[in-house]
Amino acid sequence: MNLDLLKQKMDQAHYIYDDTLAVTLSVALQLGRPLLIEGAAGVGKTEVAKVMAQALDRELVRLQCYEGLDESKALYEWNYQKQLLSIQVNRESLDRDQLTKSLFSDEYLLERPLLQSIRSDKPVVLLIDEIDKADEEFEAFLLELLSEMQVTIPEVGTIRAKTIPFVVLTSNRARPLSEALRRRCAYLYIQYPDLDKELAILRAKLPHVDDRLAGQVAVAVQKLRASEAILKKPSIAETLDWVAALDALGIRELTPDALRQTAGFVLKNSEDLAVLDTLDTSSDHNCGCSHDHGCGGHCHG
Amino acid sequence: MAEPGVYLEKLSLFARMLRLEGLTVGPQETADASQVLITLGLEDRAQVKAALRTVFAKSQEEQAAFDRVFDGFFVSEEAMKRQAQEQQQREAQLAEGRRQAEEDLRFRGEPMDIREDLREVYAAMPESERERLRQLMDRYKGNIDRSPELYGSFIHSVFTRALLEQQMLLEDAGSGGMETDPELGLLFRDIGEFKDTEIPRAIAIIQSIARQINGELSAKRQQTGHTGQLDFRRTIRRGLETGGSLHRLVYKKKRHRRRKLVLLCDVSGSMMQFSEFALRFIQSLNQVSESSQVFLFSEDLFEADAFSLQNMDLFRNYVRESGLYGRGTDLGTALAKLCVRRPAVLGPATTLLILSDTKTIDLPRAAQALLEAKRQAGRVLWLNPIPESKWPYVRSIQTMAALCQMIPCSTLRDLAAACRRLVT
Repeated sequence: MNLDLLKQKMDQAHYIYDDTLAVTLSVALQLGRPLLIEGAAGVGKTEVAKVMAQALDRELVRLQCYEGLDESKALYEWNYQKQLLSIQVNRESLDRDQLTKSLFSDEYLLERPLLQSIRSDKPVVLLIDEIDKADEEFEAFLLELLSEMQVTIPEVGTIRAKTIPFVVLTSNRARPLSEALRRRCAYLYIQYPDLDKELAILRAKLPHVDDRLAGQVAVAVQKLRASEAILKKPSIAETLDWVAALDALGIRELTPDALRQTAGFVLKNSEDLAVLDTLDTSSDHNCGCSHDHGCGGHCHG
Repeated sequence: MAEPGVYLEKLSLFARMLRLEGLTVGPQETADASQVLITLGLEDRAQVKAALRTVFAKSQEEQAAFDRVFDGFFVSEEAMKRQAQEQQQREAQLAEGRRQAEEDLRFRGEPMDIREDLREVYAAMPESERERLRQLMDRYKGNIDRSPELYGSFIHSVFTRALLEQQMLLEDAGSGGMETDPELGLLFRDIGEFKDTEIPRAIAIIQSIARQINGELSAKRQQTGHTGQLDFRRTIRRGLETGGSLHRLVYKKKRHRRRKLVLLCDVSGSMMQFSEFALRFIQSLNQVSESSQVFLFSEDLFEADAFSLQNMDLFRNYVRESGLYGRGTDLGTALAKLCVRRPAVLGPATTLLILSDTKTIDLPRAAQALLEAKRQAGRVLWLNPIPESKWPYVRSIQTMAALCQMIPCSTLRDLAAACRRLVT
């Protein structure tokens, strides 16, 4: 897929992107490399995989990483109950070797996301989310899959990919990833969106919301993110939730009262809520639309 | 599109330059880059940059290094001509400066005994500075003729000092212009030079690095070996998964005792901003120590309470209210008071961390007090915001560095590296 076509597809998915992101995705696709995306929590790393699935018209297979994740949860597991039942049923069978062999066949194999993604008849988008949360052993285990597009199951042998998935790995940089893993991936770093991009996202995702309100929220969120007193910076998803909540309540302007009533949608811990009163998040003098007068992106005067 | 051979050669040269910059560029990356270039062509510079960055740079830090090399390597024709012209001008100026140095750096017709590198500094320094030195020589002309030996050494010391100062300024100017990325640029800039508008960004960087260091340490500690003692509870519990057979043994992990940390922060005038940043950094590292005490000093010593360190405004107010702000620096008194505090602050399990530029009144007394503090504490580390290149010019730094381990941390990057050393 060439760059222009990819951009067109992302436009159709109402995804707001910049040229760097589009070129990076296009290069990763062209080279068939996994894409490693790093950035703070809530900048839209996971969203890239979702949009790519939509743009490429592929199924999204997701593997959420966590401490202690191992092959049985990520790659495959034998269906022990079914194997035991089979042994019980076929106890009288004379051909023991055949029985043993049959116990390690596809029939008893439970596919987990990694195996599912390479054995799928149609190519998929494989999202390996928050790889920094997984142990280093698991990271090493992934190397075979990412570089050779094959996995080895001791009882079965090496399974080569039927179709090549587009792999997206995300990391919050909670721990540094190994050099070996990085070398196998194309790399993208995503930062929080600036005011214009945030406003564009709000308009694309919530087109029915008043422009003035969207502008005020975008400015407020930018200020919250810039404030050192706020411990957990608001993510893009939280900004969208906040605007949706304000809209659902029929609020057309982000007044201090409205802010206090709905702050729980954007600030998620008590310390942050406590400092909210001390912050000036008003957007009366700067709506962020480069018009400098709180117009929410349009000059209403 | 140009012939592939033309830019593949350039690409290989570019890959070599990236390696020199510290990036790991193997044949696979170069092959990928050439494949990308064959498809994209070289027409759109921004597109080529983004594509090559995806292939070559595998972390945020590598991206910054990549941008530097790319911007220097793939320059437009106009930029190249402009650079060549500027280079020519610079060389002509330098040649003129050297000729001038030959003429000016003479004493009673003989060449002065001045180091070759300082002669080069004289050639490169602004004309106004050279004129100042010439005027000085003229002013003392009569005295020189009367007493050449006495005034000879005076003139020599004035010239040497002026040239050393200029050398420092030139080194500073050279190290400043490297970073183009505003975010990463902050990592390499002198902390004392941050503008107010840059502080929130700098704090965000600190928080992100601190998170990363915490993650690294926690991962490292999880990996470190066991004590050799069996953890029966976990072994039995894990055995339940396999029908009660204990074939996967779990051992008790080693307990890591963290040290007690005592921070002594200079908050006098120029040190205020650095101390704020360093304190914030160290406080965000929850793996550093199991307990810490923070002391602030200028001419006197105060213990800071944890509440006052929560954010910058509180910290500044606290320092102002304590009466330490705007005063001189007396490290000797601060250390002496710290050593005699009861209950004892320093002990064998304590790491004393001093944040100061070493500029203090009564240096011998301060050195004496530092020796006593070193005797009481298990470990003494000194974080110095003055760049290491300037240390040879500052006597107090030489004295203190001889007595304890001193780490340069004029930038956030140095500070992060120092904190890594502190916790490992």
